[in-house]
Amino acid sequence: MVSRAKIKELLNESACSHNKEKKKGEGCDMPKPGLAAGGCAFDGAQISLFPYADAVHLVHGPQTCLGASWETRETLSSYGGRNHTYMGFTTGITTQDVIFGGDKRLEASIEYIVKHYAPEAIFIYSTCVTAMIGDTIDSIASETSKKYSIPIVPVHAAGFVGGKNLGSRLAGEAVLEHLIGTKEPAYLSPYDINLIGDYNVTGDMWQYLPILEEIGVRVLSSLSGDGRVGEIRTAHRAKLNVIVCAKSLITLCRKMQERYGIPYISVSFYGKRDTTNAIMQIVEALGDAALVAKAKEVLACREAALEAKLLPYKKLFAGKKAVLNTGGNKAWSIASGLQDLGIEVVATSIRKSTKEDIEKAKEYLGEGGVLMDAPASQQAKVIDEKKADILLAGGRSLYTALKKKISFIDVNQEKKVSYGGYDGLLNLAEDLRHAFANPVFRNVAASAPWEVH
Amino acid sequence: MEAIALSKHEHKPLQVNPIKLSQPMGATLAFLGVANCLPLMHGAQGCASYTKVFYTRHFNEPIALYNTSVSDITAVLDGGDYSILMAIENITKKNPTMQPELVGLCSTGLTETKGDDIRSVASFVELPYAYVHTPDYEGGLESGWALTVKALIEQHTQPAQTIRANKLVLFVHVSFTPLEAEKLKEFCESFGFEVLACPDLSTSLDGCLSEGQGKLGAGGITLEDIRRLATCAHAVTIGESMKAAANALKAKNDKIVLRHFDALSGLANSDDFVAYLMQIRHIDPKPNIKRWRGRLQDAMLDTHFLIGSSQFLILGEPDMCFGMCALLQSVGGTIEAVVASTYSPILERIEAKNVFVGDLEDAQKHFCNVDLIVGNFHVERLLHEEEKKIALVLRGYPNYEELGNALKSDILYEGSTLFLFEVANKLREVKHRL
Repeated sequence: MVSRAKIKELLNESACSHNKEKKKGEGCDMPKPGLAAGGCAFDGAQISLFPYADAVHLVHGPQTCLGASWETRETLSSYGGRNHTYMGFTTGITTQDVIFGGDKRLEASIEYIVKHYAPEAIFIYSTCVTAMIGDTIDSIASETSKKYSIPIVPVHAAGFVGGKNLGSRLAGEAVLEHLIGTKEPAYLSPYDINLIGDYNVTGDMWQYLPILEEIGVRVLSSLSGDGRVGEIRTAHRAKLNVIVCAKSLITLCRKMQERYGIPYISVSFYGKRDTTNAIMQIVEALGDAALVAKAKEVLACREAALEAKLLPYKKLFAGKKAVLNTGGNKAWSIASGLQDLGIEVVATSIRKSTKEDIEKAKEYLGEGGVLMDAPASQQAKVIDEKKADILLAGGRSLYTALKKKISFIDVNQEKKVSYGGYDGLLNLAEDLRHAFANPVFRNVAASAPWEVH
Repeated sequence: MEAIALSKHEHKPLQVNPIKLSQPMGATLAFLGVANCLPLMHGAQGCASYTKVFYTRHFNEPIALYNTSVSDITAVLDGGDYSILMAIENITKKNPTMQPELVGLCSTGLTETKGDDIRSVASFVELPYAYVHTPDYEGGLESGWALTVKALIEQHTQPAQTIRANKLVLFVHVSFTPLEAEKLKEFCESFGFEVLACPDLSTSLDGCLSEGQGKLGAGGITLEDIRRLATCAHAVTIGESMKAAANALKAKNDKIVLRHFDALSGLANSDDFVAYLMQIRHIDPKPNIKRWRGRLQDAMLDTHFLIGSSQFLILGEPDMCFGMCALLQSVGGTIEAVVASTYSPILERIEAKNVFVGDLEDAQKHFCNVDLIVGNFHVERLLHEEEKKIALVLRGYPNYEELGNALKSDILYEGSTLFLFEVANKLREVKHRL
């Protein structure tokens, strides 16, 4: 089980930007009763580790935990073996287990998995009920790990310990304690990095990995997009940890710096400017003049190729204005992408943003940009005042777009294509082109015959 | 391959690729069929978050669902009243214009394990309040829905001594789509009944564009109508799981006549239902209903050749599986296996080679023997691994693969007709490819 001290430590991550504004001891907020959305710690832990396709992820709990969540995320993997990310494994405990304990069921489940699926590793996720009834997951994990000679990693992130962010940190802890440093890489290169926090949703990583490869930077391991358990075990030999758009795993990186002396940087790969910056930051952190020179050369070439492809879109989008209403880093990352396409972003939401995100939004939108802190009530007015042409927001805002008779893109919907890296920008451009050209918003907004006076 | 027997007990220690969904998820769906209900899940925040995303993706609609966000501290110190009352206060404070007519509370595995007293909280809640015990380590989607319907009646329907002659209430099992609920209501109305469905998804999750969606349950049966349900002359249950709800209503007024149907799929089941309605109302069905019966007869003849020479695998909630089997078997289809999410006595009445409770790992072992599978979207990925071409008809929760899931109907003469054609067309695609 996780000790209270550990939870407190994780909640108080000193390097986390959520924390800077808070008084000592406050840390990340505990979830408030009455929330309409937001996942639990288990959700966060599962998101962080699930992309390991060579491992089986066994959820030790009742039915909702896995029954409602498996096969929902488009975290792509190039793994050649049986891809376990498309599968769901749960002990699905029953009343009997709640009364007499679920240890036997857990042991039998592990045996079953080893016998029928022979994975590289097994992650066991404790959940609210199994944490509460006191199943001895740690000792079962270590005993079965010895018995079957594969890593069996307990992940203690029961839903009630906190939100997604904390769960993600707890997943990082599990990886640090049980996997990192347990294996040596086949060979080392001077430009080995770990990618931390990119889950390769819709193949986001594959947008920029070829660029890193061309420059000569090697990804030693990933946590956990298109990752392998065998590789993360060697992560302690990397020269640099690169955190991709994920504040939650900063704890892991800080600890790896303390334990293994690996420095870390935080980057984002949304839009052209960010992608270029991210890659330059990586090569500069690796500190090799030849590598930096090579990177500049490769980026110049890639940027020029991208610009050529963007030209027709820029012509098409000239003079278009957009209002953006979405949370977190999307508030500026999508803004950045839109600007790269020549669209003026006249307003964005900062309702759920950290101080860092707000600063970035300010920087990207410039003087005239409106930062909306109550977008639900503000966006309609802003659309009128700024004469916006398109609203990019969650599904609930669709009605606003219909009323204002402007185009709409649901940015919170599970996306099917990647907007990451250079080429992701072309995907965004295509989606925008279709949105602007589509008459559906005008057509749907027509009055019904019985409404015409 | 070793056959798995139908049993209340599991045949292995875990589920691999589960089809079982949880009781709180069924309860949520039921509360969403009550007008202006504020569905509140009492558990850690993930339970509600997963459920909300699950239905949002299935229906492509905003889903109203809140949670009490039980934390490690409240898990130990609170008996439930703090987090439930705080949740209601926070929600209503944050949305001052919101006027919930009912707080629909369901528990989860966590709050049942710690043994919260969700009943006595009622005296502190200033709004009408319904509660249901739905641990997710018991039962499944179907029982969670059914328990909630029973709870609504037990807690809110007022006892009555008199009945209204033509007032009829429908209790349908969880796998009824919003359109099926609507079709069934209209069907009964055409016989001159005053019809209610409890709950009623036909006006809440039917996907109708309107402003301000997603804060509260949209359409659905009103609390006032639930209160007055005991004045119904007739209560009709569709599906084994709904019998307990009807019995709860009968306890409120002994004059109510109950009538049960296992399913409304296929000619025989639809005929039984029509005969029942005719018997009460002493009138002939409307011409359109008769016409659809003729179409179904024709469809059965048109499709019997393809379906009659095919093997089927049916996956899902027990009550739905029963109806599907009846319909396919009526045109000669051979049911290779039924893999149900949970145990129900109705499964004992299905005549098929294999009927058992299991997961997709179990189901997959039967893939090699079938031509068509009826199941949820998880089946699709597994079919990619098969060399043999197998057809798939997507039914049940969840279906993230297709749009318009609320508007499928497989019941009565009309729905059965369209279902048979869909199945036959899918079969033709995989069986006659030259």
